[in-house]
Amino acid sequence: MTNINGKTYAMTAITPMKPWKTPILRLIFFILGHVKPLQAKLVNLSFIHFARWVVVPRRGFPRLAGSQPEEHLTYDYLLFFSNFNGTWNQYIDAFADVLSDGLNLIWRWSDKFPGARPVTAFKRYIALVQFDTDYYYTAYPRATTNDVKAAHRVCTALEDLGRNSAEMTPAQFSGAYLQFLTKVQKDLGSTGIGPIGT
Amino acid sequence: MANQSGCVYGLTILSPVIDDPKSDISHDCALRSYLATLPNGHHSPFAKISSTHMSRLVVMDDVVFVGVPAREEHLQSKYLVFESNLDGELEPYLTMMAQKTPEFVDAVWSHCVGYPGVRDVPAWIAYMKKCQIDTTFFFADVNTHTVQSTLKALRIQASVAHFIAEHQGLPAAELQAAFRDFFGRIKSMPDEEPGRHDAPGAHQVIPLNKSMAAHNG
Repeated sequence: MTNINGKTYAMTAITPMKPWKTPILRLIFFILGHVKPLQAKLVNLSFIHFARWVVVPRRGFPRLAGSQPEEHLTYDYLLFFSNFNGTWNQYIDAFADVLSDGLNLIWRWSDKFPGARPVTAFKRYIALVQFDTDYYYTAYPRATTNDVKAAHRVCTALEDLGRNSAEMTPAQFSGAYLQFLTKVQKDLGSTGIGPIGT
Repeated sequence: MANQSGCVYGLTILSPVIDDPKSDISHDCALRSYLATLPNGHHSPFAKISSTHMSRLVVMDDVVFVGVPAREEHLQSKYLVFESNLDGELEPYLTMMAQKTPEFVDAVWSHCVGYPGVRDVPAWIAYMKKCQIDTTFFFADVNTHTVQSTLKALRIQASVAHFIAEHQGLPAAELQAAFRDFFGRIKSMPDEEPGRHDAPGAHQVIPLNKSMAAHNG
């Protein structure tokens, strides 16, 4: 079991939904996907590399051979995958604090979802529906989402300065270099080994 | 399409695991045992499938019963869940999996129902598509950069910090010449190896500029 790789945690959860509720959730996701301002809080949290919700209809589990027994399910299932930085507790606390309305909107269609607040009941629910990862890989284990974004900002600023630096006089370069430093100074934090989490 | 966010593709695969009561070790146990010993970091097979940002493999034994009054029900098969966040399109990715890591693919998916083998790449792709579940909502915080450009950006970030620290207080002309040289070297930087926990140059301590410290008290 390995939910953690470097600074990233893999959360996998599955919750049952009554099939008549599934179209409502699909509609909510459709709106979330197309109205980008609704994702602002998720973006601003800035510790989730990638997350996804996948609805598996009760008759949608792949059946690839006649010898494979057919599924007889009454619920549709909502799978949730997240790749986030920090510990399990930090993640759920932050999620519940900042995105409680959004979480309620998404999971209220799942059976027995207690609501994102108070957080104790929410954590108990997530612990119940989560299952552990058997193998987890990340291409940049030492970097958080913020590290990645900062690194790309540094690259853009460097490219701008580098492109124009050949034609500058030393005095002009000196001014441009100072502006570059001012621009990137907040993005020069180091990446490294992650703290030991839960 | 919900599987795509910018240049990142969100792949979700559910492959039914073979249930063979006659085998000495059940397929789900054998699969878990293999995954437990599979190397990670830059020795991971996913490091060879170089367009993989993040991926996971999970053996799902059953669905979860959340308690009464919900109804208790069970899956008839166990499923291997494969979740991957990758650059570009699905078919080139699956082709890369088949060509770069055939032993890994065989070792994992040979425990799954209907797996056609990896030698026949079109059959492998068709098999994976049958197992694919479309993503309903996909969020990628950084969806405009590939794995390689992110790895390079992280290296450049560390190098820039190092350059700044090493070239403080130089006269403008010398600084400009040093920067031109540095910028040229950055441009010809080789590709980075994905998955490394010990990426050289990534962990930098930036020395404090003493004159700035004095100025700011």
